[in-house]
Amino acid sequence: MLSWFIKTPAQRPLFYVLVSALLVLALCCLLSLLFGAGGLTPQASLQTLLGNGTADDEFTVFHLRSTRTLIGLFVGLTLGIAGALMQAVARNPLAEPGLLGVSAGSSFAVAMALVMGASTATLTVGIAQLGALIGCICVLGAARMQGQHNDPIRLVLAGAALSSLLLAMTSLILLFDQRAADEIRFWVTGSVAGRDTNTLMSVLPSMLVAVACILYSAKPLASLALGERVAIGLGHKPRRIRGVIIVAVALLVGGATAIAGPVAFIGLVVPFAARALVGPDIRRTLWLCLPLGPIIVITADIISRLVAQPAEMPLGVLTAIVGAPVLLLIVRSRRLPTL
Amino acid sequence: MINHSLSMPDTPLDASTPDGYRLISIGQYAHILIEKQAIIRNTWLLILLFCASVITLGSGTMAISPKEVVAVLFGQGNTMSQFIVQDIRFPRLMAAIYTGAAFSLAGCLMQTMARNRLATPGIIGIDNAAMAFAVSSVVGMGISLAPSFMALAGAATATALAFGLAGGSGTRGYRFIVAGIGIGAIAGSVTQLLLSQVSIDVANSAYPWTVGSLSARDPFMVNVLGIGIAICVIGCLLFSTQFALLPFSDQVITGLGANIKHIRIIALILCITLTGLAVAVAGPVGLVALVGPEIARVLSRYRGIPLISSALTGALVMMLSDLFGRTVLSPIELPVGIVTAVVGGPYLIWILVRRSSRSSL
Repeated sequence: MLSWFIKTPAQRPLFYVLVSALLVLALCCLLSLLFGAGGLTPQASLQTLLGNGTADDEFTVFHLRSTRTLIGLFVGLTLGIAGALMQAVARNPLAEPGLLGVSAGSSFAVAMALVMGASTATLTVGIAQLGALIGCICVLGAARMQGQHNDPIRLVLAGAALSSLLLAMTSLILLFDQRAADEIRFWVTGSVAGRDTNTLMSVLPSMLVAVACILYSAKPLASLALGERVAIGLGHKPRRIRGVIIVAVALLVGGATAIAGPVAFIGLVVPFAARALVGPDIRRTLWLCLPLGPIIVITADIISRLVAQPAEMPLGVLTAIVGAPVLLLIVRSRRLPTL
Repeated sequence: MINHSLSMPDTPLDASTPDGYRLISIGQYAHILIEKQAIIRNTWLLILLFCASVITLGSGTMAISPKEVVAVLFGQGNTMSQFIVQDIRFPRLMAAIYTGAAFSLAGCLMQTMARNRLATPGIIGIDNAAMAFAVSSVVGMGISLAPSFMALAGAATATALAFGLAGGSGTRGYRFIVAGIGIGAIAGSVTQLLLSQVSIDVANSAYPWTVGSLSARDPFMVNVLGIGIAICVIGCLLFSTQFALLPFSDQVITGLGANIKHIRIIALILCITLTGLAVAVAGPVGLVALVGPEIARVLSRYRGIPLISSALTGALVMMLSDLFGRTVLSPIELPVGIVTAVVGGPYLIWILVRRSSRSSL
């Protein structure tokens, strides 16, 4: 066990780290089923899980809380992976879908669709994903135009500018349409509560596409981390890899946004933690992002249920409060690491 | 307004007045050097501001001809247009002018201090923090006077945090800005949190703070802002000599015998006061702080620090944005915060994207 602390992150055996992360995740899921804002005590919830609870308790635990946990799981998974991919493509530890305006693009598209006559129930996931794709292309395009791969902070600035522009346009749209404004008011803060499993089902096919994209490009992406020329020398096509990854990020972020609304900073915190645990190799960090994302989202969700009882705190608020210090930490580190 | 205050104490001051400048001495110690070109430039801007004001006062649901507006301003005109111009449109116009000038002046100071034209109060989170504090007081206390002073406290907190976390500004300007973005994100989410916790009525009463709008502002706060601006402008003029040193590197400033810490603190206090008061009146409309100083800098051909011109151009931009938001889609009224964001956002991206050696100040 001691060898864990002696070894550098890159030398740690991935398998053990992954298994322990999965155990923590299982614990988180259990806690998420046990704790809640309602009157149901953890002991009663445990009894219900073991099969001897009333019908009401069963409804709360198996219907409300399990759905919520499932959606938290999904959102954490997608946003964590999307963050890791985005950081690898931009070679920038600050690249995060929420900060770079990808989520904002998604919200804009959703607001647009709501005004056009859709309602939150019939909203197609494709619209959110399209918005995410446009946001992605805009911000990475802006960074490329300037040739600023080596200046991580300016990419964040471009993203912040894009985000603020898109948010302003979203509120502009909502001004014209009171109904859309009412529907979107609770969606924009980002939450995993009271969401529908049907949306989750409709997202799944596009997730398969995203997984295929990732499987196709994980290895080339790792070589891209060594620099564009090395990647070309190893027989990969950087441009194509980037395109594929951007599509995957858009699918993942758009899917998560369609379900839970914009949740910022998950894509920043998860890869940051993963790199601290197993080192910078993208093939290793991606695996670890799988359990870490849900751990963070579900923990944040549990906290958001408990701090403001009997009301709830929006998840997006909590992730921002946790994530912004991590951003500051990365920025403050003396030598800004480039990926 | 560049000064040569470094002349020996026994040399006559007028001997050190450079060409194209005029020295104004108040008493024995306060000397203000004024660039003659700046006087001309600012006079033109004032005339422009006046013309735009007349147009703004005249346009709206009930159009009034410019001639009539001028007549009303000089105390004539019929009762109807007197009522509309003086009681309805004039307070709003003053709110626009004051907030625009305050945001823009604060932006100019902050940009000069951080040596980076992206460092404006809106981007580094001062607006957001002021808003979060103001909303917290509306939500928590329900007093109408408190938000303004809470906004000041919020502005001060955010600035202190951004500077503290970035480890002093100066050479690491971009780091300072990203630290500010983080703080702004926290403040923004705190605002969201507060608004989501309270009943819909309270949320609605706090809503104007969050979008940035000039409609139906509290006249008392507008007056407080007006007084605050007057004091800050005098402060800027008195310290313009010191502020003129800010574009140089820390070593040069120290070598020239100035105390850089004092200069920074004075500039920061002015910034915080202006931004806090302006947010208290109009909510976060921070992108004016990005656009106003830039126009002023172009007008002054990048000579010196155009503080007064910035204030005037900021007022102009704010007034025109409000006019645009008020009239273009009437009867729907666009909040001025949204108009400036839609105009200023692309401009911000353009600054970041273009290749230019002048991209940082």
